[in-house]
Amino acid sequence: MWWRSASFILDRQQEQNTNLPPNPESLLLSSPPPSMADSLQNPKPDISAYYQTRAAHHAVVTNDWLAQAQAAVSVQTNDDVSSGSDGRVAPTGGGTGGDNKTFSVIDEFNSWRKQPDLAEAVAAIRALAAVIRASQATTMMELEIELKKASDSLKAWDATSISLTAGCDLFMRYVTRTSALEYEDFNSARYRLIERAEKFGEISYKARRIIAMLSQDFIFDGCTILVHGFSRVVLEVLKTAAQNKKNFRVFCTEGRPDRTGLRLSNELAKLDVPVKLLIDSAVAYTMDEVDMVLVGADGVVESGGIINMMGTYQIALVSHSMNKPVYVAAESYKFARLYPLDQKDMGPALRTIDFGVPIPSKVEVEKSARDYTPPQYLTLLFTDLGVLTPSVVSDELIQLYL
Amino acid sequence: MPDTQALVNDFLNKLKKRKIEGSQATAKQTAELLRSVISQTRMPYTNQAAALIHSVKAVGERLIAANPVELAVGNVVRRVLHIIREEDLSLTTAAMAGLNLSAESDDEDDTDRDNHPALSAAAIAAASRSTLRPPSLQTLLEDVPDSAAVPHTSSSGGDSEGKSKSADKSSRSRKLKHDVIEAVNELIQDISTCHELIAEQAVEHIHQNEVILTLGSSRTVLEFLCAAKEKKRSFRVFVAEGAPRYQGHLLAKELVTRGLQTTLITDSAVFAMISRVNMVIVGAHAVMANGGVIAPVGLNMVALAAQKHAVPFVVLAGSHKLCPLYPHHPEVLLNELRSPSELLDFGEFSDCLDFGSGIGAPLLHVVNPTFDYVPPKLVSLFITDTGGHNPSYMYRLIADYYSADDLVLERRTASGN
Repeated sequence: MWWRSASFILDRQQEQNTNLPPNPESLLLSSPPPSMADSLQNPKPDISAYYQTRAAHHAVVTNDWLAQAQAAVSVQTNDDVSSGSDGRVAPTGGGTGGDNKTFSVIDEFNSWRKQPDLAEAVAAIRALAAVIRASQATTMMELEIELKKASDSLKAWDATSISLTAGCDLFMRYVTRTSALEYEDFNSARYRLIERAEKFGEISYKARRIIAMLSQDFIFDGCTILVHGFSRVVLEVLKTAAQNKKNFRVFCTEGRPDRTGLRLSNELAKLDVPVKLLIDSAVAYTMDEVDMVLVGADGVVESGGIINMMGTYQIALVSHSMNKPVYVAAESYKFARLYPLDQKDMGPALRTIDFGVPIPSKVEVEKSARDYTPPQYLTLLFTDLGVLTPSVVSDELIQLYL
Repeated sequence: MPDTQALVNDFLNKLKKRKIEGSQATAKQTAELLRSVISQTRMPYTNQAAALIHSVKAVGERLIAANPVELAVGNVVRRVLHIIREEDLSLTTAAMAGLNLSAESDDEDDTDRDNHPALSAAAIAAASRSTLRPPSLQTLLEDVPDSAAVPHTSSSGGDSEGKSKSADKSSRSRKLKHDVIEAVNELIQDISTCHELIAEQAVEHIHQNEVILTLGSSRTVLEFLCAAKEKKRSFRVFVAEGAPRYQGHLLAKELVTRGLQTTLITDSAVFAMISRVNMVIVGAHAVMANGGVIAPVGLNMVALAAQKHAVPFVVLAGSHKLCPLYPHHPEVLLNELRSPSELLDFGEFSDCLDFGSGIGAPLLHVVNPTFDYVPPKLVSLFITDTGGHNPSYMYRLIADYYSADDLVLERRTASGN
């Protein structure tokens, strides 16, 4: 059944590369993830850029996989590849909306985002650090204004990504508020800001390790864990549990339409963890066998609820009604200053859905990629700040942004 | 030294044989024991806080292992550790401020070693304070200390070492120990007066002509009810007897002698009576970090009945009962099985329990668990010595009382068991 998804990605790539000469070689050049191909503007405004990247990173049929397959089919010339990649990486002065600088924060952000292991928020912070590095500001005030502009343009570029917004906010908060301002010397303050931002990449990795350690007590021998979607944190938690010789099995939902569950089940099978794949609609059917639900999060909002891949809400509802605990593993830089009141309260992150058959044009398709799970359906959040109840999240956010 | 060794062993024995009843007595005795441990610890010239922490931890681990179910022991150990860290920090900051004002060359050395070219005393203090503070979003981007970032390798010893060395003055050497003992004395004081502090709030919660239900016996509850009575509130108390130990009988007797209208009911009658009740007030064995309660057996049932009739379920707990751990399998890991003789008269049932007869194992088993776990969603309010709190607020009190590094101590011992 993979061919369908593969063709889907191929189609998308072709769509994006229409400006390139339509010879077969051009496909070979297009190994970068689709969202990178045209970095200055979100190429498809009706699809969330965030989910484009996620699909590229976490879907079963990755672009690497495609590239390999294509390479096997036809031999390519080396110079083509080099020229192709060069043209993409070099941040040429593109007109980002209004500001015509030699440096574009969005370019920077996108180049960081290409790394599958780097979280979106970290990429944002790295990009903002690059802004500091490139800026010619001579006072803290100037620098702040410049950063504000950059972060606004970043946020506007992909309004649907919560962790991008949260990362920008967190860094801005740090710049405006924290002890960095105690350094009288502007240059050393600037240097320290850059340094902190660079260290943030490690923090993100460390956060996952901490979360994995903290959650070990909750995974007991013989338990069954239901997992929805692909999350690096969740994978890390399960991996650590497997390394600790815990005896558990995992139920993976399929995670339609990008089938992130298949990817997770592949990873878990590599670790020799017993996995069972479920179709998304089989959650209630299997819930009586499940001991706990473990999900990641795209963002943790101020109410203590989470915003996560579509389907999390209904899983939480089912497990709530069957009295099963719902645990969320999320790094603390995903805490966002949002307070959604209902499902439609945020701008929807759209994505295409491949039904495999043509859909009549009259039929509407719900394309939203994520939903909001209110805090009363969550039991605990595993974060690098510790194991938290949902109400602690708002407390943390209030403390930071007071 | 041998003196404390004997004391520790004596206390360990008592804990193992379950000779100490009630978490308050346990907490108090633990604190007293740790005080004598601290006063007997020989202080090295440098790095005194680490030495104290080490010796308290060593004793604490053994105490916890002796009775892992009595969470008050671990709580007090952690409180004392937190006190040591706090006192050390306040001394360090004071010393730092002094050094910074006089701008000695000593200060220069220190900052150079720390690799912070223009760091003020305030910044150092802020950095080290965050070792006490639980990690938060604020500290995430700031100069994160290693201990906060990697809580499982508890190592505030490392950075406190550098500071205490630099700020080590002869005047300081005896000061730390003195301050710590002073603070531990305060803690002991707090533990023994927590009843009064809780009881003071009774009039705010108990109103005229109300009906209060409680189960079993708890000294905190008794004092609470009596305090309301003393303030001229007239109300009625239903006491569920609390099988199999029937401590409710004792409570009822005590309440009657203090002039309270009391009704004694069986445990099984709780649901029948709950519709006439205005408030359930009970004591607790321990309060977990998520707001769940380890309580005398039978209380989960009472809480469910209260929830069914939307009756407020109020738990009284002194702050020494506050435990920074999360309940994992509380029904199993945090429970204790008491003697079956409380349930059955052995003489009458000895035939059924005889190992010698029949197939080898007796057909009749008697299980007598001591505790119930009441999940946080069934609790309406906690009344501690610092006031009334929502279950979801418990973590905040915990953050005030314990430092993040010390949670780990339990973890290691817990996995060791």
